Amino acid sequence: MTLTTAPVPGSTAPGTGPAGRPGRSSARTTASHYLIWVVTLVLVVGPVVPIVLASLWSTPLYRSGGHVTLDNYRDLLTDPAWWGAVGNSLAFAGLTTVLSVLFGVGAAVLLTRTNIPWRRLFAGVLVLPVVLPGLVLIVGWMAMWAPSGFVSSWLTVNTVLAFPIDLYTMPGMALVATSVAAPVVFLFCRTTVLAVDSSLEDAARSAGAGPLRALVSVTVPLLRPAVLNSALLVFAVSFEVLGLPLILGFSNDITLVSTYLYDNWINASPPRQGLVSAGAVFLLACVSGLLVVRNRLVGDAARYTTVTGKATAKRVVDLGPAGWPLAALVAAVLGVLVVVPLVGVVMTAFTTILTPLIAPWSVLTMENFGAVFANPIWVESIRNSLLIATVGGLLTTLAIAVVSVVAHRSDFRFRGSLQQAVLWPRMMPGLVTGMAFFWAFAILDPGGALRSSLWALGLAFAVRSLALGYGVFYPALAAIGQDLDRAARTSGATWWQATVTVSLRLTAPAMGACFVLLFVSMLNDADPAVFLVTDRTPVMGLTMLQLAATSTGGAVAAFGVVQMLITVVVLGAGRLFLGVRAHA
Amino acid sequence: MPDLTLTKVAKSFGDNTVLHELDLHVRDGELFTLLGPSGCGKSTTLWSIAGLHSPDGGMIAFGDRVVFDGGKVDLPPERRNCGVVFQSYAVWPHLTVHDNVAYPLKLRKVGRRERAARVHEVLELVELDHLAGRHPHELSGGQQQRVALARALAHPPDLLLLDEPFSNLDAKLRERARLWLRRLQQRIGVTTVFVTHDQDEALSMSDRIVVMDQGRVRQIGTPEEIYQQPADLFVADFVGTVNVLGGRVVPGRDGVAHISLDGLGDPIAVPAVPGAADEVRLAVRPEQIVVHPTGVAGPGAVNVVTTQVLSQAFLGDHYRYVVGLGTAELVVRTAAPVDHDAELTLELPPAAFRVFPAG
Repeated sequence: MTLTTAPVPGSTAPGTGPAGRPGRSSARTTASHYLIWVVTLVLVVGPVVPIVLASLWSTPLYRSGGHVTLDNYRDLLTDPAWWGAVGNSLAFAGLTTVLSVLFGVGAAVLLTRTNIPWRRLFAGVLVLPVVLPGLVLIVGWMAMWAPSGFVSSWLTVNTVLAFPIDLYTMPGMALVATSVAAPVVFLFCRTTVLAVDSSLEDAARSAGAGPLRALVSVTVPLLRPAVLNSALLVFAVSFEVLGLPLILGFSNDITLVSTYLYDNWINASPPRQGLVSAGAVFLLACVSGLLVVRNRLVGDAARYTTVTGKATAKRVVDLGPAGWPLAALVAAVLGVLVVVPLVGVVMTAFTTILTPLIAPWSVLTMENFGAVFANPIWVESIRNSLLIATVGGLLTTLAIAVVSVVAHRSDFRFRGSLQQAVLWPRMMPGLVTGMAFFWAFAILDPGGALRSSLWALGLAFAVRSLALGYGVFYPALAAIGQDLDRAARTSGATWWQATVTVSLRLTAPAMGACFVLLFVSMLNDADPAVFLVTDRTPVMGLTMLQLAATSTGGAVAAFGVVQMLITVVVLGAGRLFLGVRAHA
Repeated sequence: MPDLTLTKVAKSFGDNTVLHELDLHVRDGELFTLLGPSGCGKSTTLWSIAGLHSPDGGMIAFGDRVVFDGGKVDLPPERRNCGVVFQSYAVWPHLTVHDNVAYPLKLRKVGRRERAARVHEVLELVELDHLAGRHPHELSGGQQQRVALARALAHPPDLLLLDEPFSNLDAKLRERARLWLRRLQQRIGVTTVFVTHDQDEALSMSDRIVVMDQGRVRQIGTPEEIYQQPADLFVADFVGTVNVLGGRVVPGRDGVAHISLDGLGDPIAVPAVPGAADEVRLAVRPEQIVVHPTGVAGPGAVNVVTTQVLSQAFLGDHYRYVVGLGTAELVVRTAAPVDHDAELTLELPPAAFRVFPAG
């Protein structure tokens, strides 16, 4: 076989130099890895430094002068309002967590492991709030369930019933938060329920347990890690959430940590920026601490629950005649928590006035939408958000893909720290991320050219959504056998060539999914914008937050409907073309 | 084709030493097999050769081209010019068979026409030229494996490295693939390193075998040497089936050595005992034990014993008996069933025994 053994003309191993000299190409690969590493760390971890500086400095960083001081911390810790806010936040987060775990775990077991009627529909409705912009849902809650809301007043006027909870109190706020947080618990637990080896239950069955007994004594205890995991996550997120307390806590003066910081920055005169920075450091420490505990307890696996469990045909427990009453109960709960508020937004948007005293169809109007599109700031914020979501989503997706392959598919020395860096923003409250970038720009960009552009917001939104995108992208990358890369390397491809032609090529669908979720997240994000937004850079999420906090009415609802519509269309397209499961 | 030399190649992961200063020499054109249980370091060795792992120290050379030398030289895999067939085949699912095989040629900037010709030639070699347009998911496991092989041979490589390529095939196919690959390798004459934990595979395909255990070489030799003259008990036990019996050397007899076994009256005659060991272990292959169905051994037979049958099994092409020999158990095999009446007369030829020091 001379033909086979004779080398193909011109086919020396690529780049084979004199034996022994490390090749230029591999040196270039290493250099590119270092570059990616430095940029990632600077963008992700770097901004925390200025917050800490700002909290320890006597004057705002953008002014000259000032000195190191602990006054900010002293002011913060001696302010009774601060401690009131911390207490409120603890109560709010605790209540929300308890309610969410009750609803979430119940729904996970009921909707995945029993034959309750319409369980697929129920599950679909339950996870809607995770997908839709949260503020819009709150507007709906207010329209329908507030003391003067449409449904609650209708109940009072026409029936003996009344909605038992005042939305503008702590329990009311927790209930609204639960409608968003319960699906998170549900998704975590459902993944576990679906992953439980059914032979475990079969073993209990063959040992003599009835189907329900087997479910309760085998599978439910196995949920404990998932419950703990999601409960800590819900607690941490509720502890930092800004939009909800800003809107609902306003009328009864219920201040949480986030609104305390917001008020002292936005409304105090002069703004107490040092104090707020100190509070942000405190918030960051608390939330990071909680999430570190969570990671310790649960391990890494749970971070990637975005991979929804495989939909294997699980044997379901037959509820018998109890199925229908249970279904009615679930329907009632979902009706109150999700359906009625969503209907409320839509009704408010399409009527001139929404009250049980006037039939809604007699006051139908499109005027609210006219008002939205006549308002230059609102139109601009929609345009800005679409721009940030599209361009930012694309660039962030690429960045996540590249960082992931370096973190997981290279010999780069510091790849471990790169993995941590991508997950780190998840520990940062949105407010803190925004403030971090504010101070970073204040120091690095005193002229304000970057800060007053959309790039500033886009960068903050991007960093904030890194962990989300990584959670979608990484499982797909991990599912691609490393031998595929290695085969390319041994065939003669450099690291980058192998990465581009094999790993990244094969993860293209995951990049698509990642883009869709990042698009939605960046489209609706509000918290980081609080400190970064300028008159020229309004974005949808923050505009909505400011509107909802100060007024109700048709135009706000119409704006919410527009926001919801864009979200649904993008997710629908993603689902249709890419099979994206929205509930990350 | 170059030969391959590994000198004092060492590798550890944390406290776990996977390779203890390994020395190997693979001759030009031979098929050299790394055989051992999982975790013995055979795959680490293969990957060090391919450049997918960096050893901690030592030297690796293809002919006189040094590809790895301590901290000084460490060519990345793309510059070593090896062809590797992975256990998982690693055929790229997004490329057709043709494009899979063409990939290494594209990277080497081989012209379009030449490339097409070469791909055709290699695919013909692995008998897949008629499937060039298919995607991997449209192929059977055996066909995917041949695509992986074609891709590994395309550039063409200086060395062919095979990492348990048959482990994902079913038993029948595996046997055919072995014969086929062996013939192909001999035809091309490419120096080949083959990793397997399957002794049958190793024995039937290799020019030479190295048996490895816990990162150390136990024996290097031809398949016959490995099977018939195992260097130690580990090799004897790992390659083929073997009965291991513990015993004591009986002093004071001349000529052949005699070993007494627990619970057996007469000592057993064996070839010379190495060294001055007192406690020894005897290794004897089941097929070398002679069964006398009639209960009577021929004239001049030594080591004839009558044993109790403990269990028997029919294994298709042979029968297997477990018998009690003293306090030990012995496995023997016969082609035909023996009407035994719960007792079996065995002859244990001295030459069938390998004697190893105990411990």
